[in-house]
Amino acid sequence: MSRVGRIARRLGTYGITLAIVTLIVFLLTAAFPGDPLEDEADHRLPPEYRHALRAQLHLDDPVGVRFARWVTDLAHGDLGVSSRERRPVATILRERLPVSIALNGTAVALIILLAAPLGIAGAWKPGSRWDRIARFGTTALYAVPVFWTALLLQGLFAVRLAWLPLFGTSSAVGISAWSRAADLARHLVLPVTCVALGGLAYVSRFVRTALLDATGGDGGRAIRARGATALRYVTHHGLGQAAVPLLTLAGFLIPRVVSGSLLVEEIFNLPGIGTLMFDSVMARDVPVIAALTLVTGIVTLGAVAAADLLAAWADPRVRRAA
Amino acid sequence: MRPELWRRLLPAWPVALLAAAAAVAPWLPGNPYRTDLGAVFTAPSAAHWMGTDGLGRDVASRLAHGARVSLTVGFATAAGAILVGLPLGAVAGYRGGFWDAAVSRVIEAALCFPALLVAVAILIDPPAWLRALPDPLRVAAALAALGWTPAARYLRAEFLRLRGSEAVLSARAAGAGTLRIVALHLLPRSLGPVLVSAAFGASAAALAEAALSFVGVGVSPPTPTWGAMLLEAMRQSGRAWWLALFPGLALFATVYGLNGLAEGIRDWLDPRPQHR
Repeated sequence: MSRVGRIARRLGTYGITLAIVTLIVFLLTAAFPGDPLEDEADHRLPPEYRHALRAQLHLDDPVGVRFARWVTDLAHGDLGVSSRERRPVATILRERLPVSIALNGTAVALIILLAAPLGIAGAWKPGSRWDRIARFGTTALYAVPVFWTALLLQGLFAVRLAWLPLFGTSSAVGISAWSRAADLARHLVLPVTCVALGGLAYVSRFVRTALLDATGGDGGRAIRARGATALRYVTHHGLGQAAVPLLTLAGFLIPRVVSGSLLVEEIFNLPGIGTLMFDSVMARDVPVIAALTLVTGIVTLGAVAAADLLAAWADPRVRRAA
Repeated sequence: MRPELWRRLLPAWPVALLAAAAAVAPWLPGNPYRTDLGAVFTAPSAAHWMGTDGLGRDVASRLAHGARVSLTVGFATAAGAILVGLPLGAVAGYRGGFWDAAVSRVIEAALCFPALLVAVAILIDPPAWLRALPDPLRVAAALAALGWTPAARYLRAEFLRLRGSEAVLSARAAGAGTLRIVALHLLPRSLGPVLVSAAFGASAAALAEAALSFVGVGVSPPTPTWGAMLLEAMRQSGRAWWLALFPGLALFATVYGLNGLAEGIRDWLDPRPQHR
């Protein structure tokens, strides 16, 4: 098969997965019991007004019709209208995304910066004292719940020492843009630390295992026998082969980060997508829930597909088949 | 030389300890529900080994009862994950072709969802059949809804690897049917990785249960759970350190022990050089 054909085939596979994701999101939201007009306050509305509202929100259409309308709207970039806030979901997302991107982007950058050297150090001499210490540390770190870390850090740095703010995103109004940015950064130190500590253990262990799998076989022994130094052996030979599982991991890290940031945003009271998701689930705001899960799914799938295509491109067996 | 299995299982001792505490919790002297407004926020003492909370309830006794919830949710989620993942992984790995593609796409799709949020969504308004279950089992079902993927993936990979093996070929040549081959030849050889994924899954579920109780959608109060205890600790914002320390340590020990158990089984099953 030609290279283009192979890539097209892979993309087709991800198209099918995307369709399944979309269907699951819709079925989940369709199965959600109750609808936004079942509150007591809504029952006190005049019946004709209630019926008009139900028709306007398409609450009584058959499931198939609703699914078709939903997908058509999505294809036009229309994420729907929040039933809680009566505003377009896209507008709400635009307001909420910056905080979450600042929080999770910084955390993921930190995770990569710290996890790569930790994982490489472990895979360098497996079983060495340094490796055992790092393994114990990361296993222990993995077992610490993120909300416990948050409590501890809040108690120490915000309450006892009062170095950093306890929660929120700003502590003053009417200050210049520059000091507002500095203020936001101060507010994000503890939440970023919490998210990063949670992911660090997972990622560094994965880096180590992927590197060991890549360098553990006969090929690795041959390279070592040829006199490659340990560092060169890991960075030149291991990383290339380990790149594929690592890139795929980066993709599937996204839903984990979203789950983790839900807790962290709740604890630190940050107006991000985690708190938005939680409030929406609590208020049964189905359009927002559907949009958020779908966006998470699409971003994840996009990252995984990109990793897969990069892997296909990087793999000499696939490249030569062209 | 490879150490024996029992040595590999040593790291799981905190779980064994907590399981013992959970088993005997109803017969322990303390009462996790009895409030004592004359003794709120008392530091650990001879009367209350781990102090008391804001209602004067004994933290040690709540911790032991919380172990029942955490361990039940952990193991029930792992069991549910195997119940769903085993047949799917078996079909995908054994039949291959279309079945493999279909199951693999569904697994891929399931991995795209934030599992904790889906569990929250299920637990906010559970369907009627879920509502009928006791609290811990309902939480376990919500967590297993997306937690089955590792079991399915591992079993699929094992079946794919084994289905062309000589053992299977000779069984088929001897006239064994599909069911017999799967049940007697494939499953026993593939259970190792599934067991490992179950132990990892149980630890993840114990953590997730605490997170769900922490955000207030898990097991309903006043049943003591570690997550709910940590939530109360947060509301006291650090005034009573023992409220955060002990449930946190218990959760840590559970997750650490279960992960150690999983790694122990994995290393024991893995014939490759150690230190992995």
